[in-house]
Amino acid sequence: MKDAFWRLTIIAAVLAIAAACGGKKPPVTKPGPDPFPSTSVPADPNPVVSTPPPPTALPVPPDANPNARPYDALSTDDINKKSILKPVFFLYDSDELDEAARKTLESNAQILKEYRAWVLTVEGHCDERGTPEYNLSLGDRRAQAAKNYLLSLGITADRLKTVSYGKEFPFNPGHDEGAWQQNRRAQFMVTAK
Amino acid sequence: MINKTFVVAAIAIGSAVALTRAAVPNPEITARSIQDPPRQQQPRELVLALDNPSYQPRIGIPDFVAGGDAELQAAAKTLADVLAADLDFEKEFLVVDRKASASIPAAATPETIPWDSWRQIGADFVIFATMRRSGAQFTIDLKVLSTRSEPVGQQKFGSEYSNCAMNNPRYCAHFISDDMHAKLRQLVGVARTKIAFASDRDATRQAGRPDMGAIGKEIYISDYDGANQRPATANRSLNINPTWLPDARGLAYTSYVSRFPDIYITLFDGRPPTRPAAGTDVIQNTLPAVSPDGQRIAFASGRSGRYDVWVVNRDGSNPRNLTPNTPNSDEGAPTWSPSGSQIAFTSDRTGSPQIWVVSADGLGPPKRLTSDVHADAPTWSTQNYIAYTLGGGPGHDVAVIDLSKMETRIITDGIGSNKQPTVAPNARHIAFVTTRWGKEQIAIIDFPTGKSLRRVTDAGNNTYPDWSPVPGGTSNATNRTARIPQ
Repeated sequence: MKDAFWRLTIIAAVLAIAAACGGKKPPVTKPGPDPFPSTSVPADPNPVVSTPPPPTALPVPPDANPNARPYDALSTDDINKKSILKPVFFLYDSDELDEAARKTLESNAQILKEYRAWVLTVEGHCDERGTPEYNLSLGDRRAQAAKNYLLSLGITADRLKTVSYGKEFPFNPGHDEGAWQQNRRAQFMVTAK
Repeated sequence: MINKTFVVAAIAIGSAVALTRAAVPNPEITARSIQDPPRQQQPRELVLALDNPSYQPRIGIPDFVAGGDAELQAAAKTLADVLAADLDFEKEFLVVDRKASASIPAAATPETIPWDSWRQIGADFVIFATMRRSGAQFTIDLKVLSTRSEPVGQQKFGSEYSNCAMNNPRYCAHFISDDMHAKLRQLVGVARTKIAFASDRDATRQAGRPDMGAIGKEIYISDYDGANQRPATANRSLNINPTWLPDARGLAYTSYVSRFPDIYITLFDGRPPTRPAAGTDVIQNTLPAVSPDGQRIAFASGRSGRYDVWVVNRDGSNPRNLTPNTPNSDEGAPTWSPSGSQIAFTSDRTGSPQIWVVSADGLGPPKRLTSDVHADAPTWSTQNYIAYTLGGGPGHDVAVIDLSKMETRIITDGIGSNKQPTVAPNARHIAFVTTRWGKEQIAIIDFPTGKSLRRVTDAGNNTYPDWSPVPGGTSNATNRTARIPQ
């Protein structure tokens, strides 16, 4: 019963977000030239087949025993270093949350509902290809998109700050598509617990 | 006669920059012109004159006469080398390579200068300078003598520079270069200017984070020629986008030291920076640009939703949104016109980021200046052009909009990625960030040729350069437009 309620809530929220985003800004295939068409990026001589970093968070089943709170023993630094709240990733020059990103945010929301004292900063980050100044605003949009989805999942606004670092703090300092994929992200930093 | 004024006082108003922790102003160097009585000039001399704007006089710079004091000799060597580089930088004079002329015997007096040797190596003029020390300071008596006058060795320029610091002969050379450019070529020299930028060279890994690339950046300041690079901030956080106050006595910049971006202004006086945009974790501010009168700060802020260009008074009063009518696009990266009446900025309201311009009071519709794939980071020069970052390919290039013709063209050479231009106060040089040597480094090219590439930085990654105004202003010289040497 409870699961069904959540499923419906999430579906409704997803639809609401999709509708809101659709009206505001068309998805990746927007009209006009893409600022940096990916076709113009030269082939990487040493392609790195890269996927987002493997999840390091311990699985939290929906019916977890409320007495088993594995992260209580961790400091905020450890929570952040271990990426207990997993980052979400974006397509090039996009602030749209795809299905994988929404699933990650839903999983993060579950943790945040278990750990109600956690306060976090949602950081928006970009890869190095756009101009640094534009990336500051793109990162802000990514942070806002992730924050808004968490809000829709019932996380309260007083627990969610945002900040954009543009391209200044890459996850992976490399210069290939593998690194860029890891750097186009919203990252969740717990600041209080 | 080059300069009819018998005594011209040019005063350098201290140092452009002193660090927060160690304010060591440069001495007030004074210049006093020393002229020979006028003599009849030959027609050939008029063409090859030191102040003929359509001729590039060829100048030889031998070692300066410094007596037996080893410290003064070392200062003399630095002075001559730096003066040669400073004069070469503007290309108003063609400086004979000091290595090539090193074999010409040094002369202790003007009468013993080997004129034939200097003429053979191509010099129209030779600098003859003597230095004398007075404790921690020295005075230099500098003459520019003609190799082609009749009789040979006629003085075409002479000045005595006093109060030069023994521990800073570079600044003395910069002062002399700017003085010679002002008096002989009616040009605002930039030898005393500095370039501020953001650098990760201290490699301050941010604690408690999962991302290996989270390296802090401090604001650094360099002399225009790459000498004396030193930090202006030391908070181990992320500091970007330094921009000089118009008197070159302070910087505005963006810092994340409070864990969100806000605009800080430091006057290098040891006092805490001010925060005119009064940022909080929900009122975040970035990308400052200081108005030419120093009284207003334009910046980007997302406080009303998406990024807009805001303007606030230096004292924090009257914050106003300059771009309130575009709730679905981002506006940022403002730059002021030289008169302060207009602001150019970046907006993606038509899809991709482009450069737009609006009146500084926000009245009237903004006008679009570019139709590129991706245009950003405009910087308005003193000579009616805007330089900016042109994106769209695998890398970026620096492009220039000529505002009189409304034409744009690329000025960098496409080697590596080139971005974030900043223009010298005389508009004849552009510094920018380039990846041609691997990491992000600051380099300088000439405007409008795009040539004479010079590297400024080499440690770490260096971005967001901003070229300082001339310290003490530019009132002692009119600003000639760029001249392309043959």
